[in-house]
Parts: sequence; C-alpha cells; structure tokens
Amino acid sequence: MAESYAPAAKVRPKAGFDDRLPLGAARGERLSLRARLRWAGFLFVLPALLHLLTFKFYPMIEAARLSFFRYDLLTPPVFNGLQNYKAVWENPLFHQSFWVSAKYMFGVSLPEWFLALGLALLLNRQMPGQSLIRLAYFLPIAMSQIVVAMVWKFMYNPLGLVNTLLGFVGVGRINWLSTEETALPALIAIGVWRGIPLFGVIYLAGLQSIPKEYYEAATIDGAGPWQRFVHVTIPLLLPTILFVMVMSLLSAVKVFLNPLVMTEGGPNGTTRVLPYFIYETGFAYYRMGEAAAASMVLFAFVFGLTLIQLRLLRQGGVE
Amino acid sequence: MRRFLTACLFMAVALAAGPAIAQGITWWEHSKEWNKKHPNMKVQYEFFAMTPYFKKLSAALSTKSAADMFTVIDTLLPGFTTKNVLAPIRPGWLGYKDLDDMKKAFLPGALEGYIHEGKLYAVPPIASVFSLYINKDHFKEAGLDAEKDYPKTWEDIAKVGQKLVKRQGNTITREAFDFAMHSSAWTMWYMEALTRQHGGSILDAAGKKCTANSEAGVKAMEVRSMYARKHKISDPTVSVGTNALPADDVPKGRVSMFISHAGSVAQFGPKVMEHIKVVPFPQVNPAKPVSIVYGFALAVNPHIPEARQKQVHDLIKHVMANPKQWYDKTSYPFPSANFLQLPGMDEARKTRYLDVFVGDIKTGVFVTRSPHFIEIADAMHRAMERVVLKGEAPKKSLDQACTDIDRALAKK
Amino acid sequence: MSRKALPRWGGRLTTCLTIAGLGLVLLPYFWMLSSSLKTGSEVFDLPIKWLPEAAQWGNYPDALSRGKFPTYFFNSAVVAFAVMTGNLIFCSMAGYGLSKFRFPCREACFRLILSTMMLPLEIILVPTFLVARQFGLVNNYGGLIVPLAVDAFGIFLMRQYIKDLPDSLIEAARLDGCSEFGIFWRIILPNCKPALGALALLTFRDNWDQFLWPLIVASKDVLKTFPLGLAQMEGIDSAAYHEIMAAAVVGMIPTALVFLLFQRAFVRGIALSGLKE
Repeated sequence: MAESYAPAAKVRPKAGFDDRLPLGAARGERLSLRARLRWAGFLFVLPALLHLLTFKFYPMIEAARLSFFRYDLLTPPVFNGLQNYKAVWENPLFHQSFWVSAKYMFGVSLPEWFLALGLALLLNRQMPGQSLIRLAYFLPIAMSQIVVAMVWKFMYNPLGLVNTLLGFVGVGRINWLSTEETALPALIAIGVWRGIPLFGVIYLAGLQSIPKEYYEAATIDGAGPWQRFVHVTIPLLLPTILFVMVMSLLSAVKVFLNPLVMTEGGPNGTTRVLPYFIYETGFAYYRMGEAAAASMVLFAFVFGLTLIQLRLLRQGGVE
Repeated sequence: MRRFLTACLFMAVALAAGPAIAQGITWWEHSKEWNKKHPNMKVQYEFFAMTPYFKKLSAALSTKSAADMFTVIDTLLPGFTTKNVLAPIRPGWLGYKDLDDMKKAFLPGALEGYIHEGKLYAVPPIASVFSLYINKDHFKEAGLDAEKDYPKTWEDIAKVGQKLVKRQGNTITREAFDFAMHSSAWTMWYMEALTRQHGGSILDAAGKKCTANSEAGVKAMEVRSMYARKHKISDPTVSVGTNALPADDVPKGRVSMFISHAGSVAQFGPKVMEHIKVVPFPQVNPAKPVSIVYGFALAVNPHIPEARQKQVHDLIKHVMANPKQWYDKTSYPFPSANFLQLPGMDEARKTRYLDVFVGDIKTGVFVTRSPHFIEIADAMHRAMERVVLKGEAPKKSLDQACTDIDRALAKK
Repeated sequence: MSRKALPRWGGRLTTCLTIAGLGLVLLPYFWMLSSSLKTGSEVFDLPIKWLPEAAQWGNYPDALSRGKFPTYFFNSAVVAFAVMTGNLIFCSMAGYGLSKFRFPCREACFRLILSTMMLPLEIILVPTFLVARQFGLVNNYGGLIVPLAVDAFGIFLMRQYIKDLPDSLIEAARLDGCSEFGIFWRIILPNCKPALGALALLTFRDNWDQFLWPLIVASKDVLKTFPLGLAQMEGIDSAAYHEIMAAAVVGMIPTALVFLLFQRAFVRGIALSGLKE
C-alpha cells in the first residue's frame, strides 16, 4: 500500500500551511487534496473490504438466495418462492427459539455492559501485583470454548461444584441443566462469566487511551472521583461503550457451542437458541433452504438492532 | 500420482465413545496391512470425533468433496439413498454371487438397514444393540441372585428395583435403574422398542403419518417414565448432566441396572466387567421379543470412477475379512452369520456376553426408516422430557410430538 | 485515577471486591486444574472431590502423547499468529479509513462491513467452503488462514478508537509532508496501542480456538488445530476426562502468554507517547 501514497506525497505543495486554508489555496490544488484524501481513505478500506466481500458477504448473499430455494444440501436447489419463510413462520419451534435467543441475548449483554466496565475501572487502578491480577481476571478469555462448555457442564451436575457451594448457604439440590426454568439462566451465567473479561479488556484499552491530563485538569477544578467519572471518563469512553454494547449483543446472539455441548437445546427446547435452530434445521434435518430463511430473519433482527443502537447513540452525540 | 484411496472414519463421541478409539486403532492396523500388500495403492484415512464428523460429512457430501469411502450410521441411509450420495454396493465385487447370497453370509436382517429398493448401500462391520447391564454386587447385597433374578420384563425391573434402590430421605443416592437421556437418538431407540413391544409403531406403514400417540405409544411412554415418576427408583436428572457418557454411572456403581450398547463391554474394561452381568433387553412379553439394532457401515463415494470404486470394494473386502480382530478391539459384534462359531470366539462368549448381544441382534429390527429420522427423534425426545422431567400426561405429550412429526413428514 | 484520590473506605471496598470477584472468576480454573491432576476414576466421583488424593502429574505427558499434539499446537499457533497479524494490519487500516476520511459511500461501506458480523459461520459454511475451494484454499495452511484474515469485529473496534484520536495529529503530520501511509504507520498505529493490544489478544484467542472452519476446510491429521485434537480426545472414553483437562490447561498457556505480551500495550499506550490534544 505504501507505494501508492508515496508519489502523491511528493506532489504535495510545499507550502503546506496554505494548503489547509481554502481561501489562500488555488482551487485546483484544493480539489486535488480532497480527491487525494478521498482516494487514500478508500484505499485504506479496500483490502479489508475486498476480503470481506469475498469470504463473508458473497456467502451471505448465497445464503439469502438459498432462502428462496428448497435445498437439502445433497441435491441441487429448487426454487420455491417464499415457501421457506412460510414454513419457518408456521413452525412453533422457530418462535420458541426466537424468544429463547432474545432472552439469552439481553440476559447476557445487559449485565456485561455494566460489570465489564466495573471490572475495567477496578483493574485500571494502580495496585500491587497488578499484572497478575489482570491476568487472573482475563483468564476466562484464554479458556477454549469447548473446554468452557465441558468444565461448566460438569460443575452444573446435580452433585457437582455449583450445588456443593450453594449447599453451604442452604440451597437444595438443583438440576440446573435439566430443569426448564434453570437451564437458560445457567447458560446465561456462563456467557456473562466469559463475556465480562472480554469486554473488560476492551474497556480497559479505552480507559488507557484517556489522557491523564484530563483527570489532572478536572482534579484542579475541584472535581471528586464521581464527577471525574461522569464528566471525563464516560464522555471520552462513549465510542468504546457503544462498541461494547453492539458487540456484546452480537456475540450473545450468535451463541451456539454451549447449548450444543451442554443441553442439546433442551430440556424441551428451552435452550434452543436461534443459531442452534438454524444449525439443526440445516445440518441435522437437511433443510438448508428453511435454515437460510431463518437466518435471514436472524440477520434482519440483529442488523436492525445494531443500526438502531448506532442511530440512538448518534443522536446522543456519540457518533 | 493420484494413487490414493481416501477413507473417512470417525471416532464416536456420544454413541460409542469407548470402542471408538479401538475402532480407530483397528482401522489403522487394517490400512497398514493393506498398504503393505498394495504398495501402489495406499490408503489415507481421516479421523474425526463423531459429532463434528457428521457436520463434516454433510458439508463434504454437499460439495462433492467426500472421501472415496466413508462411515455412515444406518439412520442416515434413508435420507441419503435417494440423493445419489452413496454408490450402490456390488456384492459381486465383494466375492458374493448376488445380494441374496451376501445376505446369507450375514445374520438374518443384519443388512436390512442398509438396503433401499433392492440395493445395498453400505456394508456394516459393526452391529450394535441395546442390552441390560446389571451390577452383580448390588444384586448380591440386596439378597438377589443375578443369575436367576435378573429382570426379563419392564415390570421385573420395577420389582427388583425396589430392592436395589438406595434413598436418603426423599433423595435417591443410588438409582436402581435409569435410561440414558443425553441423546435424542437413544431416546428414539428405546421409545421405538417399547412401542413395538406394545404392538404399535412410531409411523404408519407408509411412513407418512405419526402413530406414536396410539394406545401402544402411550403405554410405551408410561413404561419410559414410570421408574422415575411412579416407582421412584430412578432420578431422571442425574444421568443427563453427568458427563459425555451416561453409561459411566454403571462402573461407578451409581446405578444398578442400565441399558447400553455392546461397545460398553470394551469401554468398561475387563476389571469392571467382573462385577457386571449383561442380560437380554427387557421385554413386555419375553415370548415375543423385540429389540432395536443399529450400526455403522462403510459406504462408497459415487462420484469416483468405476475402477476406483472397485478398489474401494477390495478395501472393504479386506476390512471385512477379519471380524475377530475388529471385535477384539471394539466388542461390537460383527454381523456375519457364523460369527459365534469363528475360531477363538469361545472366550468372548464366556466373558463378554457375546451370546446375549447376538441374541438381541437376532430379535432386533432397525429403527423406523425415514429421511426425517433426526427430526422424529428430536420430537420424541422433547415429548419424553415433558413427561419425565415435568410430569406432563403421556398422551398429551405424544399428541404434541405427533403434531411436530407430521409437520416434518409433510415436507419434501 | 490514582489510588490516593479515592477515599480510604472506597479503596478498601474495591480491594475486597477485587478479591471476591477473583474467587468467582477463578473457580472453573481451580476445578480444571484439580481435575487435570486426578485419576480417571476420581474425576467423576460424586459428591465431588476438591483435590486429588495424590497429584497425577503423569496425566500431562499422557494427554499430550495422544494424537499428534505437538503438530496440533504448532498448527494452532501458526493459524492464530497469522490471522492475528492479518487482522492487526487490515483492520486498523480499514478502521482508519472509515473514521478519518470522507469518501463517497463511506457509511455504506461501514454498514456492509458490519453486516458481515451478523450471521454465525454455521449458516454460511457451505458457500464459504466453495469460495475457498475456488481459490485452492482447501487442505492447506492457506485455507486455514486466508478466509479468516480479516474480521469485521476488528474493523469496528479500530474505527471506534481511531475516531477518538484528535484530527490535529493527522493534519500536523500531513503538513510535515508525511505520506498518507506514513501517517497511518507512524502516527495512528502508535497512538492506538491499547486497542491494538486488545485486538491482538482477542483475535489470537479466537483463532487459537478455531474449530468449525478447520474441521471443514482441512482433512489431513497434520493440519488439525488444537481444539480439533481436543475434540478427538473427548471420544476416547469417559475416563480420559482428566487427560482432556490436562490438555486444556496446556492449551491455555499460549493465549495467556499473548496476554502478558500485550499487557504492556494496555498499560503504556498513550501515557508514554503523550500525543493527545
């Protein structure tokens, strides 16, 4: 990429200061700078864009196309209009899955938004053994997903670690993963456990990028810790907060492995999140067309939600 | 340089975890021998754990990138056979006159699960069946004689179970009996066996309509749930979350009677098996026994040239030529007609309950053939969960299952 | 926020919170470690055993001698490192382009990029495989790496950070005659070290842990990644749970090391370069 900018840099007028002032600059030069920046911006985005178009966007379009076909993976697709959408809409299991996903999504991401920020604030303080404590807190990030599922599954055993601990405070034996009321909350707890360090890292990076001088200035102005938090930390952290809000929802809605390994969507479908429904329909029932239709619904739901979040925050002055 | 046959096998996770590694080893030894004999025709083999394997197989079949030979489970066959993803097996290339001649070399009915419209689509080196594992020590402790008092019927299990169960207050500390409930396929196998023993079926004869909510089906569900709900000799929730392998409760002595497949013998190992006895699958009427068989089989990729398909047949022949070697490692019976009479099988008949398993295979039928098998199994599994875990009425729950199943069957 | 600035009770409270939270967070690790040192039969003993009767250190060599673990580790390391590098470079470039330049369709580009995050891989698995095959990216390292080399997550993350950097930094550099790529390389990148650190850690982790894609795109044993090796162990028998845990403990080390490595980025970041407005 560097080569493409180098010549442009050379032809740059030497009187750089004038360059910035539209009034003093010749019209042609001004346009060329704007055009150059336009191209530069586009070229910065281009490699990533091409890659995503090829390996993500095209397959997505393909999935969208297949949602109008009867496709069993094994024989060539046959066009069948909106039949897949109709089938999905008429399938009570889809509706159940949709609500399971919605519950899981907010159940996981709402606590994450606040607890991850709390964790980052905690770890941003100077304290003895800081790097060790940080490492310990961020360990859930390092644990392989499949191991997370295996370890927690065992901890949730009726006679396992969780019930043993709860037994100390007098809670009776709960069959976490095989009771309809507790299975989803049990999975949500895992999501939160693993998500907080993840978003904590991102918050921490955001906190680190707030210059110390801002706090110093605020302190000189007589601001207490709470005021500094409200008037310095929060406003400067808003882009990060926005990012975390969007990403936590996105990653929660895509959860798949835990229900697969720990509950197989049960009991009675109470942990069958939408991605699991889609996977099951496509790869177990060999109805890829319906799976594609369901994923388009998932797509519309999640993308819509993301755009609303971005819009709301833009109105709030963040974007 | 394309002188390679590729074979895709798996190591099972949920269904056959113990013997799976043994299958792997056996397969490896087979291909090593083969490679020695055929220096120009090497076998490359690929192994995967079972759950990921089926994902990979679906993707590979869909993109026509499957191996020359791969493993299938019998329940998948109906979904595959009509779609040209499996090449018909040619008995002639395996050294038989025709399919009928080949059938004679196998246990009666052992190939039925792999036949579609008169053609065979896979060759099973493994036949499995569910039999009852009982803990001899627990029987003795309860004043019972495992040799005589072992349960023959489902009612027997309830009766014997009352003596075997251990409770502390209302909490069961040792189950007398339990069904595994970690997998919808297992649920389907039990439910189908129970329904058929009561004279019913899961689908009608044409395979177009769910009949699981018939009187026989309701009775089957009552049996499936009575140990937990009525007799209180099992705690349904314990074995679900325990681990990847519910049968592990047996060697741990957490359950006195448990239904498992033949592979558990190898999985438990000879030391544990000293304390275990295997008896035939429980029945409603022992005079008219019904059990369910299933199996894994080798299939041929139809998209490879004919000559290469023939080479794959040679490989299958080679693999099938030494059933004893396969059996020693896996403890899954090999479904050939003369299997019990093979030289060197006496020891296995004495210590590994081979006769029991082969007996159950002989009374066994394959589970309902349907391209919608997994969907049916999932619907039955949910019905079972509603009855066993929540106490819903069997009839109501099965009606719901049939609504789900009929919706699936209505689709192409 | 220095410690002195906080009232004393607040300091104590947060210290207590830190420790209590640590307990909760670490519990599964304790369980994993303790299980990895148990015998096969102790693992599933119920009621649970907190500690093994005697630590079975032999579980570790036993676990790692099953399958080709050195190969799986190597593969995961290659994939994770390559994908991480790709993401660091391309995502920060794209993030910079999207936040500090105006060009037609910029918002459309951003939304398009965002949209690629909305579907789980399961859904687009088959078409993605077909694309990869078209490029000859099947059963080789290229196939394991290239399709993952850019992720919208990273672009979004970098855009959010770079957005917040003062424009005057860039303009000053431009006035000094710096090329556009030079500005990116010498001004932007050093100023988003904390974000790059976070991105590095997260992409390394995600790709160390890559399971479904390697499963589909590679068949040879020599191309299997660590999680595939682990899943293979799961099939061995129930008693091998202790060995699975041992392998899992070892499998965490690389990500933990990467964290330690990039932890400097978090801590120093802006504080040293001090280039903010």
